[in-house]
Amino acid sequence: MFDTALSSADLIFLAKGAGMTIVVTAISVAIGTVLGIVFGVIRVQLGTVYAAPLTFFLDIFRSVPLLIQLVLANAFMGMVLRVQFSGLTVACMVLSLYTAAYCAEIVRGGIDAVPTTTRRAARSLGMSWGQDMRHIVMPLATRVALPSWIGLALGVMKDSALVYVVQVTELLKSTQILITRLQEPMLLLLICGAFYFVISFPLARFGGYLEKRWSND
Amino acid sequence: MTKFTPIKKITVLAALIAATGFSGAARADKLDDIISSGTLRCAVVLDFPPMGMRDANNEPIGFDVDYCKDLAKVLGVEAEIVETPFPERIPALMSGRVDVGVASTSDTLERAKTVGFSIPYFAFEMVVTANETSGITSFESMKGHTVGAVAGTFEGIALEKQVKAWGEGEYRPYQTQADVFLALSQGQLDATVSTSTVAMASVNSGKFEGIAVVGKAPFDTDYVALFTNRNEYGLINYLNLFVNQQIRTGRYAELYKKWVGGELPSLTIPNAYR
Amino acid sequence: MFGYTFQWNQALARLPKMLDGAVVTMEVAVLSMLIGILCAILLTLLRLSGSRSLRAVAAGWVEIARNTPALFQIYMAHFGIASFGIHFSPFVSLLIGITFNNAGYLAENFRGALKAIPDTQIRASRSLGMSQTQAFRYIIVPQMLRISFLPMTNQMVWAVLMTSLGVTVGMNSDLYGVTQDLNALTFRTFELFAIAAVIFYIITKIITLGARLIAARLFRY
Repeated sequence: MFDTALSSADLIFLAKGAGMTIVVTAISVAIGTVLGIVFGVIRVQLGTVYAAPLTFFLDIFRSVPLLIQLVLANAFMGMVLRVQFSGLTVACMVLSLYTAAYCAEIVRGGIDAVPTTTRRAARSLGMSWGQDMRHIVMPLATRVALPSWIGLALGVMKDSALVYVVQVTELLKSTQILITRLQEPMLLLLICGAFYFVISFPLARFGGYLEKRWSND
Repeated sequence: MTKFTPIKKITVLAALIAATGFSGAARADKLDDIISSGTLRCAVVLDFPPMGMRDANNEPIGFDVDYCKDLAKVLGVEAEIVETPFPERIPALMSGRVDVGVASTSDTLERAKTVGFSIPYFAFEMVVTANETSGITSFESMKGHTVGAVAGTFEGIALEKQVKAWGEGEYRPYQTQADVFLALSQGQLDATVSTSTVAMASVNSGKFEGIAVVGKAPFDTDYVALFTNRNEYGLINYLNLFVNQQIRTGRYAELYKKWVGGELPSLTIPNAYR
Repeated sequence: MFGYTFQWNQALARLPKMLDGAVVTMEVAVLSMLIGILCAILLTLLRLSGSRSLRAVAAGWVEIARNTPALFQIYMAHFGIASFGIHFSPFVSLLIGITFNNAGYLAENFRGALKAIPDTQIRASRSLGMSQTQAFRYIIVPQMLRISFLPMTNQMVWAVLMTSLGVTVGMNSDLYGVTQDLNALTFRTFELFAIAAVIFYIITKIITLGARLIAARLFRY
């Protein structure tokens, strides 16, 4: 089974793909989280009615397959707007908004989980809205939101496997390139799957641990 | 005479400024853009041996890769090979990710409504490759079997139509040529129709067990052309002349011998102008 | 202002074909969900079982489903399993891939839901003369499904979105596959995929609204 034509150059090739997966994920999760927090707070502050346009916009990213989002964004920017962006840029833009859409939900859930009475108490103690947000809401909401956020970040890493459609050679695409040349699908796919697993599994466990620990108090 | 109110004047002025501002991009055509950028970005399919594939260092090689490099050379620019799977060729062009497609693309009338094709630069014969356990010995004996090809290719579209006409059997499109041959050697497919070049290259590679080319497929000769944006006449003219020159100078024959071998297919259509 | 001329009627003429594709997409999603729920209940049981190897199998399934890309799972369901000489059609491969994924995520949700059900209920039902199976069947499972109704709705939406990955295993009858085929014929990328996006959006809205109605009817108390 391990009689393979896989060379060290090929392993480096795979490692480069893995590096690209991590780069795309890191950029998208970073930008997406910031946007998601902003969108989430705006949604809570504006209330259901006034935030409806934003809710609708974000909802699109959760209701259309990521593959189609990527194809459309790519076609729209290049064909219609005639802006030249690299595949990596398009991939990160789409994945950031995709992350933001889910993150906004998590943030909203987190803020909603803070009891209104606690917040009223804070305000009646003379805290400003900003102080209330920073000292009361943020610490409490983070406890609720962080485990979900870890899940989201890992989800984005796994979904980044789709950015091959905009000509970004990430891990799964590199694997397919090697399968094409070496014709050893099982071995290569197992290596690829193992890589995702090795990154995702411990972090997912950590998220579960935080959830358990923080839900007790 | 139309009377210009001040507001209209400002609008016209603004429009003029805007027009001159954009003229850098708008007036130069794509041919100019490529020359001034110093890079020619070609869409090439790299799982389609011997037209496009990768060497042991995973660098792109093949007929189409060399063809793109030749084009870049005469343009006096660097060639950049952008790998595009078959279904992604046109989106890659449309999104401005590549300048020219050197991707064994059939010049169908339906597609020519969207992109601009050069004159044909290569011609494929279609053959049937079968899994030896399937008992398929010819094109006709594929009837009733599970067959497949690459999604969105000339032969894929023709084969799907044929399966529908037969009224039995099943057609499966895969995303890449490699997936088709993988499915074929695994026995998921009984047979496939592909270009004779890729079939021979795949069978001879020895990586796919139990498959063999069993005969020709009675499809029209598949003429493939270079493509770019439909409205880039300057570039399309240049591509036409380039293809012509490749044949004239013997470079086409040279590349054919290097990557394919055998009898050189004619790129002209009898009794027609083009 | 745009350097591109939209040809919507060219794409809209293909709408009936795309709607046929949407039906297939729904078929895959609904089937993968129904089988996925059954598998998830089974996995939940296995994770509670006394046998170490059964627990390991269940844990392996859940963790692989949750920690590798869905695209990878679907690709493996087709080309991976075929390495052992077992062949499935693209439809079945896609169904297996998505069901595997659904079951993994749902089992995790069920485990969470299970914790929310007090142990005393089991003891109460046992003391009422119910067998272990009866207690699980009539007391635990209904509550488990109810508590995880929202995650189940989300997973259903996910299942619909995941059908778009079927093209990698030779599927072309679902909405994404149909769209891609039409794109290969006409190269009207933007128009065709925009229409597909709208159809997907409508499908997911119908699912979430439908789920809300069902929830309102079922869980009134």
